[in-house]
Amino acid sequence: MLLPDHDFIKPRSLAEGLAVLRDSPPGVRLLGGGTDVVFNMRCRLMTPATVLSLKDLPEIQGVAVLPDGSLRLGAASRLTDLIVEPVLRERHPALVKAFRAVASRHVRNLATLGGNLCLDTRCWFTNQTKEWRDTKGPCLKTGTDACHAIQGSPVCVALNNADSPPALIALDATVTLASCRGERTLPLADFYREDGIRHTVLAPDEILTAVTVPPTADRLVFRKETARQGMDFSYGTIAIRADSAGGRATRLRIVLGSLTTSPRQLTAAAERLAALGLGDEGLAAACATVRDALGPLTNLYSPAAYKRELARTLLRKAVTDLREMTA
Amino acid sequence: MKKGFITLTVNGDTCEVVVSSRHTLLDVLRGKLQLMGTKEGCTTGSCGVCTVNNGRGEAVLSCLTPALEWDGQAITTVEGLEHNGELAPIQQAFIDYHAVQCGFCTPGVLMSAQAILNATPAPTEDDINDGLAGVICRCTGHIKVKEAIRHAGEFAPRRKA
Repeated sequence: MLLPDHDFIKPRSLAEGLAVLRDSPPGVRLLGGGTDVVFNMRCRLMTPATVLSLKDLPEIQGVAVLPDGSLRLGAASRLTDLIVEPVLRERHPALVKAFRAVASRHVRNLATLGGNLCLDTRCWFTNQTKEWRDTKGPCLKTGTDACHAIQGSPVCVALNNADSPPALIALDATVTLASCRGERTLPLADFYREDGIRHTVLAPDEILTAVTVPPTADRLVFRKETARQGMDFSYGTIAIRADSAGGRATRLRIVLGSLTTSPRQLTAAAERLAALGLGDEGLAAACATVRDALGPLTNLYSPAAYKRELARTLLRKAVTDLREMTA
Repeated sequence: MKKGFITLTVNGDTCEVVVSSRHTLLDVLRGKLQLMGTKEGCTTGSCGVCTVNNGRGEAVLSCLTPALEWDGQAITTVEGLEHNGELAPIQQAFIDYHAVQCGFCTPGVLMSAQAILNATPAPTEDDINDGLAGVICRCTGHIKVKEAIRHAGEFAPRRKA
């Protein structure tokens, strides 16, 4: 099936791309590697008037070490290139693990970091062929006020299925958003919204240009659970960052992905682990907070009860990984 | 642009093609250039039978990338593996190790295998698993394919496709 009719624009510089966004009517879709957008266009979930290709923009490629020791990752960097980047492998092996968890090698050879961070939310009732969707009727995302996942839900509850955000959020990464109006930088944690339709705060005239990872000596672990190990969207991911070594940590950040509409931080669990240590006592206390922290869950892709149990399992496994790390 | 000329170097031959924004790279290879070796499977990025190699010899999915994105770039398809009637080492290894069953996924598996060998002539188990994860054989499995890749990497001279 051909893609829907659209105007394809490939700017040569970031300034040119931003000018296109400023001067175009709404309906411009930003294209990274295309592995998400082209798929959604083929299913007619996205029918943009204009597609703006950012993949080869020189300003937003590659990894740079900033004077303060932060790493600046260009949003158009391919995941494949980030995985082999020596400075990333040396400083943040768990982040590299998260990048490598995304889809397959074939997809990562096209896909960009910015594309993964902006990955559209997914829902069992929406991410289907148009014919499949037509038998059920449209939903919040495809043009009515009905939600098939949670009857009566006022807001789209599709899942954020990207694998890289939890690890980056745990590392306190910030994102830089550029537009003709200027540039703004905000924590990646604040980039996401609890709405499956407008799931990021990216304005229509903005481009995500870079992700900045501040320097840290803390440990970071990442885990992904999925149906097939080779390549699949995850049932759940977890990233935990902790200071100190061995069985103690005074400051932790725990982030769960793919279970909710935006990545979810487990602050209460982090506090219990900091107070009681990473041993069995702390872990049991932390697991007891998971249900409240997650709140109501959907049955999308896996039952809600499974998601809660999975969150506790991921927490146990990731904390066990942490205990074995020295720093 | 909605329609335009792009310059593609496919299997060493440079050509100009008129493509529309509605075409993916796969549409151009099969529809415009009549290179039917590359297959169309799921068109959603799950099966990998549309795999071709980009200019750096890496495996990419031709069904998930707009054709206009490829202006000025080089591509190798399964037709480009053999040279002057002589099969590439990986193709011969697939025959020798019976790594083909119905054959539908074979172009995609071959190009994924070639990409693994382009990256390293002595791939580890992990390299092979990683490089094959995105392409699915529904007949049987990847055991014979993995044997063929190991053999082609070990005993045949490396040739960049």
